[in-house]
Amino acid sequence: MEFTLLAAVLIGVLPVYLVLRWDGHRCGTGVRDLWDIALSAAVIGLFVGRLAAMISAGVSPIAHPADILIVRGGVATGPATTAALAAVVWMGRRDLWSVLDGLAPAAVAGLGGWHAGCLARGACLGTPSDLPWAVAQGGSAITRHPVEIYAALALIAAAVTLVLVRPRLEARPGSATGIALFVAAVVRLATEPMRPALGSGPVGWYSVGVLAGASLVLWALRPGRKPAPDPDTG
Amino acid sequence: MRRIIPIAAVMLLAAACSSQHTDPADIPDLPAVTTEELQQVLSDSTQPTVVNVWASWCIPCRSEAPLLEQAARTATDVRFIGLNVQDDQDGARGFIAQFFPDAAIDHLFDPAGEIPVSLGGTRGVPMTFFYAPGGQLVDLHAGVIDERTLALQIDEIRSR
Repeated sequence: MEFTLLAAVLIGVLPVYLVLRWDGHRCGTGVRDLWDIALSAAVIGLFVGRLAAMISAGVSPIAHPADILIVRGGVATGPATTAALAAVVWMGRRDLWSVLDGLAPAAVAGLGGWHAGCLARGACLGTPSDLPWAVAQGGSAITRHPVEIYAALALIAAAVTLVLVRPRLEARPGSATGIALFVAAVVRLATEPMRPALGSGPVGWYSVGVLAGASLVLWALRPGRKPAPDPDTG
Repeated sequence: MRRIIPIAAVMLLAAACSSQHTDPADIPDLPAVTTEELQQVLSDSTQPTVVNVWASWCIPCRSEAPLLEQAARTATDVRFIGLNVQDDQDGARGFIAQFFPDAAIDHLFDPAGEIPVSLGGTRGVPMTFFYAPGGQLVDLHAGVIDERTLALQIDEIRSR
């Protein structure tokens, strides 16, 4: 069963690579370095998120280190995202905004790809729905929202849009990062009520993401801020 | 040294977070069950039922145990049965003491591990069967289950 999870991860990684190939040249850090940073941050985020999920479930990572590998057992969204962001900030600290803005569209695309990976995991369906495109799982008469497909389409569309508008945002370092964070959190927040869940889900973390993204955009685009010099003209 | 101290502090914190709330000696022995007896329980049930197959030596079972405990706490209209397989009573009681001390889960004992195969599964653990009221098998999930899948299948068996 873990092979389906691996397939979903690969479906998530592919858009990151493609978007970096498409858009990464704008960043002075270079596509290969951005790719390394993205993968390293993803692994660090996954590791920290898994540790946090284990600790919150009362399982000691020291007593049961092999459990860390059972990713399907749960990854805490908030700690994972925070750790991945912290890793990017640390690895890209020499040219922070350039690295963050360079990775932003790829990160949104990767998140979209991860949601599309539900097709490999067989986990696309959400709450019941009568909409014409609602889908029933095998043997069931109950049609449901293909909620992960909604999220995937919205995020991929956002990533493409972000790539297309990036030239206009280059003079405002941090704006692409803020928009990416805002969009990713809004999409998760908007689709969360359509996901079957045992509790309320990490809605609080998504709300923090919305606020942080919006704050970053407002800060980056504030009227009094001096735009960054055009790298092409110096 | 300055780098080691925070790492050591985090590891200590993680170790401290390990919980063994209940003494395994306080957990009664699990009642042994046969395939026929379990099938009778399922067909007599007026509630949707989740049967989770687990073993104390199974690492993935440890990962999904907190999720099942949460499900049993929140889906009070669903009956949860834990089927301990290929295990011994001491191991099973230790596992219950750590992960399910107060959970509304009826644990049964199948040391030979034949029942899941008879119900249509395999000898692998973990495995989760979802039954509609009356004992109709709705879904069988092999391997570690995640929250979305568990919640979706619970929703399915509630709706049948």
